[in-house]
Amino acid sequence: MTPSGVAERAARRRAWLFTGLAALWALAAVLPVIWMALMMFKPEAIMFERPPVWVFTPTLAHVDYVLAHGFVWNLVTSLLVAGASTVLVVVVGTPAAYALARFPLARRDDLLLFVLATRMAPPVALAIPFYLIYAKVGLLDSYLGLVIAYLTFNLSFYIWMLWSFCRELPVELEEAARADGYPRGQVLLRVVLPLLRPGIIATAVLCFIFAWNEFLYAFMLGGKAVETLPVAVPKLITSQGVKWGELSLVGIVALVPVLAVVFFLQRHIVRGLTMGAVKG
Amino acid sequence: MSARGRDRWFPWVLLAPAMTILVVVALVPFVYTVYLSLHEMQYARVGAWAGVANYRALLGSGRFWHSVAISALFVAITVPLQFGLGLAGALILNQGVRLRSVIVPLLFVPTMMAPIVVGLLWKIMLAGSWGLVSYNVLERFGILTDTSVLASPALALYALVFIDVWQWTPFVLLALFAGLQSLPVAPYRAAQVDGATALQTFRRLTLPLLAPLMAVIVLLRIIDAFKVFDTIFLLTGGGPGTATESVSLFTYKMVFDFWNLGAATATAVVVWIMFFAFSNVFYQLLKRALRTS
Repeated sequence: MTPSGVAERAARRRAWLFTGLAALWALAAVLPVIWMALMMFKPEAIMFERPPVWVFTPTLAHVDYVLAHGFVWNLVTSLLVAGASTVLVVVVGTPAAYALARFPLARRDDLLLFVLATRMAPPVALAIPFYLIYAKVGLLDSYLGLVIAYLTFNLSFYIWMLWSFCRELPVELEEAARADGYPRGQVLLRVVLPLLRPGIIATAVLCFIFAWNEFLYAFMLGGKAVETLPVAVPKLITSQGVKWGELSLVGIVALVPVLAVVFFLQRHIVRGLTMGAVKG
Repeated sequence: MSARGRDRWFPWVLLAPAMTILVVVALVPFVYTVYLSLHEMQYARVGAWAGVANYRALLGSGRFWHSVAISALFVAITVPLQFGLGLAGALILNQGVRLRSVIVPLLFVPTMMAPIVVGLLWKIMLAGSWGLVSYNVLERFGILTDTSVLASPALALYALVFIDVWQWTPFVLLALFAGLQSLPVAPYRAAQVDGATALQTFRRLTLPLLAPLMAVIVLLRIIDAFKVFDTIFLLTGGGPGTATESVSLFTYKMVFDFWNLGAATATAVVVWIMFFAFSNVFYQLLKRALRTS
């Protein structure tokens, strides 16, 4: 065999070795999810078998329980709260991000740091004053209260991310439109917004997921009236016992939008999670 | 108003709603918390001016320092593990791995799912005796029998460390992988021409080029690992005893279990100031990373 043939074969073998390692890792990432997905159809009688059972006749008992005990309402609540907070964030955050990116504002660095620090603040420290203030003004256990609380991490995140998208827009188009006599507001609406649309959508979807996944604020501020899906999880862990099948079902439902994003929007996730340090 | 004057006001008009909201939802609560922390608190009632008494009590509390130690230990173990494994994984993924379009999205799953669902997953996997990992791994190697690792005072924290590593290593991996993919090609060609070994190329080229991004990722991980709440809350509630009581759990318990708002607000202020310092460093690092990329 020629030397180049040997080298090629070694390279190919290495590629498969690395592929195997990466695939193993991916399996470790999803195996618990697959196991949980099986749990939601597993009959109570074999749930605690040793060794754990992989193959069984599925039951719909857990699904029935979840449907009968109002968990659909948790789903609706999650959709409403996450949806409303995302819409609000886009409406308010887009112009702010644009302003921060385009205009030589006084103390812009301080403004950006303030936005970032708001994003970084630990929720548990913020939830305390929120709880006390809400108790006074009657916003505890209300949709509005939760939507407002979600602004702390999502509005700051959105402004920060969109600011980084705005900085990548070529300024020439806006200047041309300005030279043609369009007022600044029109330039923003007609020129900037269409160009920003991919960034807006990607960031808004991430905001939706963050709100969808949020637990602490919902748990502390939502009470019994506004129970999102994550809050339904500890509710199924009672002193009478743990409803494992039902828990698994709730967990899987909570995963659905996350899986959709992971498969369709992965380019933007890294950018979002590194606060813009990596371009997607 | 002249056109020039309107121009000057335009950005501030765009900024005003968002900034007003951020001041109301972040700055006002912070100032309010500082105010509360300087008063005697009887449940939610604000009592007399207390000066720094709440802070003195907090800093003299063994339980508080214990929670600081738990958080510090948690950060000190998880972040290096995540970084090491993540870097190794990123380098592997960068070596022409096949099926990348299937593998990469799957890796994202732990990182993007709700932390409370992560907790739930591992509550199931680590359940005593019948949990998949309990039965197949922990019992087989004689580490534990018939009980959940989460109920073990000696091991519960390490179980939480393992879960955090499972959840966040893929993030580090994928962020570093994205960084590797965006590196310029030319210096690598030059290194190849000069006959540099793979190790030399990594040390002299990849590390320095990637360093700003690495700094950003590490700090981000430190910040997030320090805040972890949902998984600990669901899996151990800070227990057994106080074995996994991080600062977040301590703060939560001071409010909702003990109604000790003096201690809770003082902790919140201390944590807040710490995070503001974190954010400031992060901002500087990020600016550097953006300039070099």
